[in-house]
Amino acid sequence: METDASFRLSTGISGLDEILDGGFIPRRAYLVRGGPGIGKTTMGLHFLTSSASQGEQVLLITLGEPEAQIRQDAQSMGFDLKDVNFLDLSPSSEFFTAVETYDIFSPAEVEREPITKMIVDQVEIVKPQRVFFDAVTQFRYLTADVFQFRKQVLSFLRFLIEQGATVLLSSESSTFLPDDDLQFICDGVINLVLEAGRQTISITKFRGSGFRRGPHTMKLGSRGIDVYPKLIPEKYVSAFTSEIVSSGVPEIDEMLHGGLERGTSTLISGPSGVGKTTLGLQFMKEAASRGERSVVYSFEEEMLATMVYRCESINIPVRSMIEHGSLSLVSIEPLRFSPDEFSSMVRREVEDRKASMIMIDSISGYTMSMSGEDLTSHLHALEKYLVSRKVTLLLVDEVKNITGEFRISESGISFLVDNIIFLRYLEINGELHKAIGVLKKRVSDFGKRLREFEITGDGLKVGNPMTGLRSLLSGRPELGDLTKKEGG
Amino acid sequence: MDGKPLIVALESNHSNLELIRQFLEKEGFQVLGLTSMDELDTILEEGEAFDLALLDLTGYNRSIWDRCERLRKGGTPFLIISPRQSADIQKESLTHGAKAILVKPLAVSELVGLIRSLLGE
Repeated sequence: METDASFRLSTGISGLDEILDGGFIPRRAYLVRGGPGIGKTTMGLHFLTSSASQGEQVLLITLGEPEAQIRQDAQSMGFDLKDVNFLDLSPSSEFFTAVETYDIFSPAEVEREPITKMIVDQVEIVKPQRVFFDAVTQFRYLTADVFQFRKQVLSFLRFLIEQGATVLLSSESSTFLPDDDLQFICDGVINLVLEAGRQTISITKFRGSGFRRGPHTMKLGSRGIDVYPKLIPEKYVSAFTSEIVSSGVPEIDEMLHGGLERGTSTLISGPSGVGKTTLGLQFMKEAASRGERSVVYSFEEEMLATMVYRCESINIPVRSMIEHGSLSLVSIEPLRFSPDEFSSMVRREVEDRKASMIMIDSISGYTMSMSGEDLTSHLHALEKYLVSRKVTLLLVDEVKNITGEFRISESGISFLVDNIIFLRYLEINGELHKAIGVLKKRVSDFGKRLREFEITGDGLKVGNPMTGLRSLLSGRPELGDLTKKEGG
Repeated sequence: MDGKPLIVALESNHSNLELIRQFLEKEGFQVLGLTSMDELDTILEEGEAFDLALLDLTGYNRSIWDRCERLRKGGTPFLIISPRQSADIQKESLTHGAKAILVKPLAVSELVGLIRSLLGE
């Protein structure tokens, strides 16, 4: 008999277990509530089948959907209900075809007793460790009033729990039929919500345990439910190291006083086509030479085709990096993922495949591609998580102005990154040049001077600091010309 | 008669009649179920003795009040079961001698309690 709160029962959905700090506490009653078609029954199937293989006895009591239908749907989703005991209390077709149905007594008077007896008999025979009751709100019609309902459900739950069961109840809730009473009775409440085309899951109550507040993204697919827990920055403790990550270009390292610190976040800002992605890949090429793995999430380019080709022509061997597993290019289709799903994807790369450098290309693409609100805070949470995992994060941010008034970022997130590297177009004597500069570095000092920067067939070429020029940041420097110009 | 009170129930719905039979027999009564007024007439004509009548108005016309009058004259207590709360039905029922009017759905305990008190148990 485990009463220890540290022992948990899996819900059968790994993301939900994570939100619940490990899973359900045994011998308690939980309520899953939500509108039609949102996955309440499916969640019950996950709950029952996650342990049937371990020799536990599980029981599904259905008051709505008939057994055959549940079995059929479960099979098409890939659940094996072989070891699940059923108690089908759904009305049979005879109920409708019988010409007369009673109306002299209330259903509470007529049906409660036989139904209760069937449940008690079945529970005593099966002695289940897990019970899923679908849907408990139907019980309401079998009780005379609210008080009776509460009392019935409470004593019913007590009976199941005394038999050693952990219980999941589903509740068909709506504004017309509120289920607040059930929420008070149960030890935990799981809410499934469909809002603006997005499905979310959130816990509003969990007696005896902590849990992660939602809403978290949930997907009800053809293979059941997936839950993508929201990243919460506080959960991850930051661990600072002073290890330096080199760019592989001596002049850039010099500007950065050695390179970027591992586990910091860097904003690479600049106008379109100036070479932001290329600069990021340069860091990754160097990381690959140290045997580390990097991942690029691209939100706007048809990457695998053009980027591979482009990088190959400038001495960044993207193809062989991919083949050796030191680089992964992931193209994110617009509006397919929620921020929580994206975070889960990144976490899998970091935790399972040991990626040490992540590039998000670009922030505006991320903002446009993700459905949902409050993206800056999601990005912030992701950044904090990566930093705590000592993963170096590169955020590409495109600014609209090609030249002219200097801007660091369009997304207003420059305050949350550790480092800012910016790329600029400069017009000097009617000629277009590119320049690279460092604007912020939280951990160390950095070179304040801009340098000319070029992308050549041999890779990135960076010149000496530009001197003898004024108003570089305006994009139209005055006075003189570039005193030292290198790298043709 | 084997000591158990006999209750005649007039009820047009077979499912209802079956439930009444189940519940009342469990409480120690005998139930004679009728579904038509003709059957009731036969019993009244034959002068068969019974202790109490339950009349569900659903499915019968106004001529049921004549039967009520006959029951009253014979001194047999009877209860009216009404499909809805209605001042007219209440008035008619009491005028024709009903001891009480019960509105559907009935609570079993209430029905049984009422029968027992009418039978003086």
